[in-house]
Amino acid sequence: MPAYEFPGGIYPPERKERSNQTPLRTAPLPDVVTLALAQHVGKAALPCVSVGDRVKTGTPVGSRDGMISAPVHASISGTVIEITDSAILVQSDGEDRWETLPPLDWKNAPHQALLERLDDSGLIGLGGAGFPTYIKAQVNEQHAIETLVVNAAECEPYITADDLTLRHYAADVIEGAQLLAHLCGATQILIGIEDNKPQAIQALEAALTQLPLSASVSLKVIETRYPSGGERQLIKKLLNLEVPSGGLPADIGVLCHNPGTLLAALHAVRDGQPLVQRVVTLTGDAIRQPGNYWVRIGTPVSALLEYVGINHDALHQVVVGGPMMGTPLASLEAPVTKTTNCLIAATQEELPPTPEEVPCIRCGACESVCPAQLLPQQLHWYARAENDTALETLNLFDCIECGACSFVCPSVIPLVQDYRASKQRIRHKRIETAKAEHAKHRFEFRQARLAREDAEKQARRKARLAQQRPAGNDASNVSAAPEADLRSLRIAQTAAKAAVRKAEKVLARTAAQDPHQHHDDLETQLATAQENLKAAEARLAEARAASEHKEAP
Amino acid sequence: MSMMHATQLGTAPPTAQVMRWVIAATLPGLAVMTYYFGLGVLSNVLIAALWAVAAEALILRLRHRPVWPTLNDASALLTGVLLGASLPPASPWWLIGVGVIAAVVVAKQLYGGLGHNPFNPAMVGYALLLVSFPTHMTLWAPPQALWSHTLGPQILGTLPTSSLDGLSGATPLDAFKHKGEAVLASEFWASSPLPEGTLEAWRHIALAWLAGGLVLIAKRLISWHIPVTMLGSMTLLAALFYASDTSHFGSPVFHLLTGATLFGAFFIATDPVSAATSRRGKLIYGAGIGVLVILIRNVGGYPDAVAFAVLLMNICVPLLDIYSVPRPGGKASSEHKATRKAS
Repeated sequence: MPAYEFPGGIYPPERKERSNQTPLRTAPLPDVVTLALAQHVGKAALPCVSVGDRVKTGTPVGSRDGMISAPVHASISGTVIEITDSAILVQSDGEDRWETLPPLDWKNAPHQALLERLDDSGLIGLGGAGFPTYIKAQVNEQHAIETLVVNAAECEPYITADDLTLRHYAADVIEGAQLLAHLCGATQILIGIEDNKPQAIQALEAALTQLPLSASVSLKVIETRYPSGGERQLIKKLLNLEVPSGGLPADIGVLCHNPGTLLAALHAVRDGQPLVQRVVTLTGDAIRQPGNYWVRIGTPVSALLEYVGINHDALHQVVVGGPMMGTPLASLEAPVTKTTNCLIAATQEELPPTPEEVPCIRCGACESVCPAQLLPQQLHWYARAENDTALETLNLFDCIECGACSFVCPSVIPLVQDYRASKQRIRHKRIETAKAEHAKHRFEFRQARLAREDAEKQARRKARLAQQRPAGNDASNVSAAPEADLRSLRIAQTAAKAAVRKAEKVLARTAAQDPHQHHDDLETQLATAQENLKAAEARLAEARAASEHKEAP
Repeated sequence: MSMMHATQLGTAPPTAQVMRWVIAATLPGLAVMTYYFGLGVLSNVLIAALWAVAAEALILRLRHRPVWPTLNDASALLTGVLLGASLPPASPWWLIGVGVIAAVVVAKQLYGGLGHNPFNPAMVGYALLLVSFPTHMTLWAPPQALWSHTLGPQILGTLPTSSLDGLSGATPLDAFKHKGEAVLASEFWASSPLPEGTLEAWRHIALAWLAGGLVLIAKRLISWHIPVTMLGSMTLLAALFYASDTSHFGSPVFHLLTGATLFGAFFIATDPVSAATSRRGKLIYGAGIGVLVILIRNVGGYPDAVAFAVLLMNICVPLLDIYSVPRPGGKASSEHKATRKAS
């Protein structure tokens, strides 16, 4: 199969050799973990423990709230010492006793059990997006999925977490891919990896020889060029398919997963281990033992950096993620989260402060490297002018924020920063204009809830009455539920079920397309549909019970 | 709000570096020009550069903008050098000053400074001088020895011809343009209308500009799109004219190697600020300049036309920018066309 090309792209210094020279190691258990409630796309988890509770490694401490959300688990055993608005703190007892779920055999277990397991394990995309995996795994309800792509490109400089994961767990990652392919009905698995990871490639090749030919898993080594790890770019490169603008890979029958996610999925299913640890690249010139480490979620960054020998005098800043798309860390006390794939403790020399920007001269360097084929120079112009109409005409929302334009800009303009701010502004505007609509949805939810409570109350009352009276008298007293009524209730229940499914579909899609947006309104609409369904079920159950009573004698 | 780190890894030359490289790339052209036309070329460039820096400093002060960081970007210096190189050798100092002020102050800074000017500053200055001082602007001394120029008239501000009477001449384009309807091209050339070596001098100068331009392309400081389409459309259209009537129109080679063609193609039309911005837009922009140059030269009123052609295409840039938005990956072409129409 030939390699296809995506447009644009750059060749930044890779600096991966700093962290890929040593094998994967395990970081020591932290004394205290800070388990953030919002580590994923969507709504934050709700705390389900109280201060003073004893927890084990793997005990759920936060439960999923709404559909686009994920539970959070204790990553060490010990005692819950504090619950804040945004996090739960657990003090370690040093014993690391685990609470695991029963192992499942994914080849034979029912899909529903597997999906529930992914959900219960708090699994989200570990490549950085943080999208709940159980939702992604259900995408085949709306789209037929043919190909599962394992995104092992890892194109950002510095980061080697996927590289090391594959060197050590190639077979497990492939099995994880088979598990998720099995769930979404994909018939082929494609592993896309950049050619700067020869050892990982070797490990994958070795693992592939163990597989039966029928598994249809293939490895595809691609040229190292940033941002080949972008979902759209990788799909273009591997399959020569374009993901529709504003759409999802699922629209063209593709699903992308990060190797770390696949490994975690296998651990959750095969071993019953919830997501409590991940591989993190610790690198940068300000630390003495760079490398990749298994790190418990919630470990304070400061403790990690101390462990790998931080040189505080040389440290200029810590960046979370890669140097292209990552963000600087405000405080070293921040914890590692499920999406922390890399920490760069950088010296001033390696990541120097950006010089003062000068005016754009429209040289077009940005245009020639833009992988989305946008006109960054024009977007820049309109972003500064806050001309949102022009920005949307110039397809601002097709920008993947890879930073290639900022990288080549001779006027050192922080282009991506401007685009992010503009996107935020436009999203905010949309929310503002939809406020009345949202208020209406909240009102509808309230009505639906009251109606459901009413229906349930009614059903309970009828049930009580039926129990109190002897069955014989019942038939004569209770007005008979006509057949037609029962049928219309059944139809109402089916319609309510369809409405729930539709609301779920809309929410899942919107959240996947635009993870940075708030989806509260769609969650409300989903909750409304669910209330309606419950009410319809209660009414139907009541009518059924009544008609059975009638027929019984 | 996140901070973007991409620029920190950057290896791209900063804008000021780009400007300096472009100035450096003018050296072959300037050197050959000086060789053929004497020190008047260099003194032109020097005076224009001084004017440009002084005018930029002054206007920045008046606009309450930081003076030094902006001067340091060398864009004013580049404008001065390019305008100086376009003027007849040993032009009067005040003439250069008028042109440079029109370029730097009016065409650039009054529109908002670097990056905001819709018109090519050097060509605004040149066009202003051409229509305001036609006598001064069309007097090109014939090729002469390096030291033969007396720079006195330039400094006194008088016409160089007043003291060099009889030596005044025309450029090949000028002479050919005014050969008269009755004279056939073959007769014209047979009559050796130009002082000896003039045509050859212009050819060598053109090739020197080409060399500098190729350096810019090799170093990726300018993209190939504009020069290639401009020269391409010029060649094509000139060939059509030439094929229609060899006795009155210059050959494509004549058009390419005389006048400001190659200088314009690599150093003027490629000014990114006033050019179309997308690659597709640049192709149309360059082609448009080429077409206009040949049209003006062959059927218009001016012997050369690079300045006017560039300025006319500058006017079209906003339109080109709207209609040349590339199709982003994943957007169906029909959908893309619809949004473009809506805009």
